Amino acid sequence: MFDFLTHDMLAVIWFFLWCVIWGVYFIADSFSLGAGLLLPFIATDEVQRTQIQSSVGPFWGGNEVWLILAAGGTFAAFPLVFSKMFTFLYLPMMLLLIGLIARGVSVEYLHKDENPQIQKAFAWGWFVGSLLISLVLGVAFANFFKGLEIASGGVYTGTLPGLFSPYALIGGVLFVFMSVTSGALWINVKTEGAIAAKAGNLAKKSTLIVFILSLIYLVYSFVGIEGFTTNYSATPALYLLPVLAVVGAVLSMFFAKKGRGFPAFCSNLLTLLFIVESGLASIYPYMLKSSISPDYGIDIFEAASSHMTLSIMLGGALVFVPIVIIYQLWAYTLFKEKIKETEQIDY
Amino acid sequence: MVELLLLSRLQFAITAAFHFIFVPLTLGLALLVASMETMYYRNKDETWRKMADFWGRVFKINFAVGLVSGLTLTFQFGTNWGAYAEFMGDVFGPPLAVEALLAFFLEGTFFGAWIFLDRNRQKLKTFSMWMVALGTNISSLWIITANGFMQNPVGYEMAADGSKVVMTDFFALITNGYVWYMLVHTLLSAYLLTAFLIMGICAYHFLKGNNSKVFKKSFSIAVTIALATAVMLPVLGHGYAQYVTELQPAKGAAMDAIWETGSKVPMYLIQVPDSSTGSNSVQLLGIPGLASFLYTGSFSGKITGLNQLHQDELPPVGMIFWSFRLMTILGSLFIVEALLGLYLQKSGKLYTSDKYLKLLIWSIPLPYIAITAGWIVAEVGRQPWLVYGLLKTANGISSVPISDVLLSVALISTFYLILMVFEIYLIKKTVVNATGAE
Repeated sequence: MFDFLTHDMLAVIWFFLWCVIWGVYFIADSFSLGAGLLLPFIATDEVQRTQIQSSVGPFWGGNEVWLILAAGGTFAAFPLVFSKMFTFLYLPMMLLLIGLIARGVSVEYLHKDENPQIQKAFAWGWFVGSLLISLVLGVAFANFFKGLEIASGGVYTGTLPGLFSPYALIGGVLFVFMSVTSGALWINVKTEGAIAAKAGNLAKKSTLIVFILSLIYLVYSFVGIEGFTTNYSATPALYLLPVLAVVGAVLSMFFAKKGRGFPAFCSNLLTLLFIVESGLASIYPYMLKSSISPDYGIDIFEAASSHMTLSIMLGGALVFVPIVIIYQLWAYTLFKEKIKETEQIDY
Repeated sequence: MVELLLLSRLQFAITAAFHFIFVPLTLGLALLVASMETMYYRNKDETWRKMADFWGRVFKINFAVGLVSGLTLTFQFGTNWGAYAEFMGDVFGPPLAVEALLAFFLEGTFFGAWIFLDRNRQKLKTFSMWMVALGTNISSLWIITANGFMQNPVGYEMAADGSKVVMTDFFALITNGYVWYMLVHTLLSAYLLTAFLIMGICAYHFLKGNNSKVFKKSFSIAVTIALATAVMLPVLGHGYAQYVTELQPAKGAAMDAIWETGSKVPMYLIQVPDSSTGSNSVQLLGIPGLASFLYTGSFSGKITGLNQLHQDELPPVGMIFWSFRLMTILGSLFIVEALLGLYLQKSGKLYTSDKYLKLLIWSIPLPYIAITAGWIVAEVGRQPWLVYGLLKTANGISSVPISDVLLSVALISTFYLILMVFEIYLIKKTVVNATGAE
């Protein structure tokens, strides 16, 4: 299969697919993370909590699988990167894991018991889980773009506090706010009544924050991060990516102000997607860039699996990724009605 | 390094065992709930609807934890078993990625759809549950395919520098004989566990005098499944024992603590192995040639004893031996209980047989114990190999600070304990509050 492609070409294709899968994950999970980030603050009673829960309930589980696919895909296509990434960032990955467990269980168990104390605990569990996921991923990706302290021979010399540079922190906060915005606009679009209005108002402020943070983050990336512009200078067309991110943020602000939730939501997703892709475009061909010296980084050609593994996986991805996307989109059409304040569900 | 290895292994054991508490029930209940949804869709009989609702509720509570605890395992291959991930990535990665692509997406997407679709859209609701059931069961195929390579490496060659395995034949990977033995054995035991859980819960209600149709019908389905699987498991296990003895002689010999090579090897009903002396400190009531028959298919078959194998490549014999004993004894008990249940039901004495009903309630944890024991035989039995014959467990770990691993073990265990308490509380509450009439 795919014998006409050289090993290097397959590695490049898989890097591209890897960027796509991460992008899809970030936009797909953003609104369920955002809903969790907002839940304890904007839902005043059980009815509103149920509305928020029902607005993401049918989708979050399927969407989270994109993250598992991103991890599994890295394992299969670039095992060396998989191993190094998780080992270097051992504690952050554990935090991410705790976040994923807390979020998942909290969404499912939120209203499984009538005790208000327990419900409250799960509401905060959902919040803490969502915060950990978006913050850790934001900080981790900023570090990937900045480069990890990888010395010669693939030896990691970084420390945990070292991961929290100003740049990484801005990245983390930006990811949190992009999720908040996504969640607010989703609730605005998917629900009816007081909660929808409250979320819509909130989005007016958070889209502004996203716009400002994106500008700071992008300027910081292009000016302050070593080697960030190398690929951009070689292929100027790449500048489209950060430009689209900013355009998305502007549009999102504009539509949110006008009270048009759905276009604002889509525009915010555009920002999220292209912030991630702008960074990923800068590190190619490295997957783990070294901040010490480019030579020490781990690139896709070194990390790639065998020709056979890459081509079998490519065949599988070409057939099944479209099928997955089709039935996930179909699931959205199944639940297109807005969630009313009166609705009860045996969740 | 020794402590790091031990901690990494402990962490894997805790997380895999915890995940495995939820997986078998998910596998079995998904199929049953899907069948109940189908029956309701076909004949609109309210009893089926109530059954689907009640067992569906149990399924939902269980599924959530099964899903999140699975994430931990995927992560751990990178965080704690990085050297293994690099060595095995070319072969182990694809089944894992395919599992996400083919199974997890189905489960995740349609689980949400099934919960939120109301009964006015029964056809779609039923379809969604079948997709969940398909997803969970396909998932087991892929993870066992990955595990199968660790037990019986096929379709690979070593990289020129010996640093990793490289896939040469994907077809060989998925037609690995080990995989099909293990898949069927695992699925059957999952269905058995589900059947016994249902029987136990029904028994609880019969004891309370609640003989609603929901529980009566559930019981008769469950007891049939229990009997069928309980009988098939040892039949299949017999074939597996022979296969494994050829594949991994040390595991096979450890299962029955056979120390010396011989033919016409007897099987002892009472036996206590002692690794320090390389023999059994107690062995009574031997049945001549039975061990030979079980492990080779012939009463005069030759079995290689543990003392004739590489001494530095032996698994912990006692652990394998006792786990195997426990599994087979429980397996026999399951057959007796299922037969008794079927007899009592047919003769109409079931609802008044308090002793039997109490036994059923106390039996709920037993399949869990049997499955864990079986899992110990399979996975500890492969030690000291991580990938049989290719990579030792000690060479598979990540070199991360021991304090980090310690912290993560503590963190995850605490978290899991809380989840477990809550899950049991919720399921118990669901079961106790059910009347079968809602």
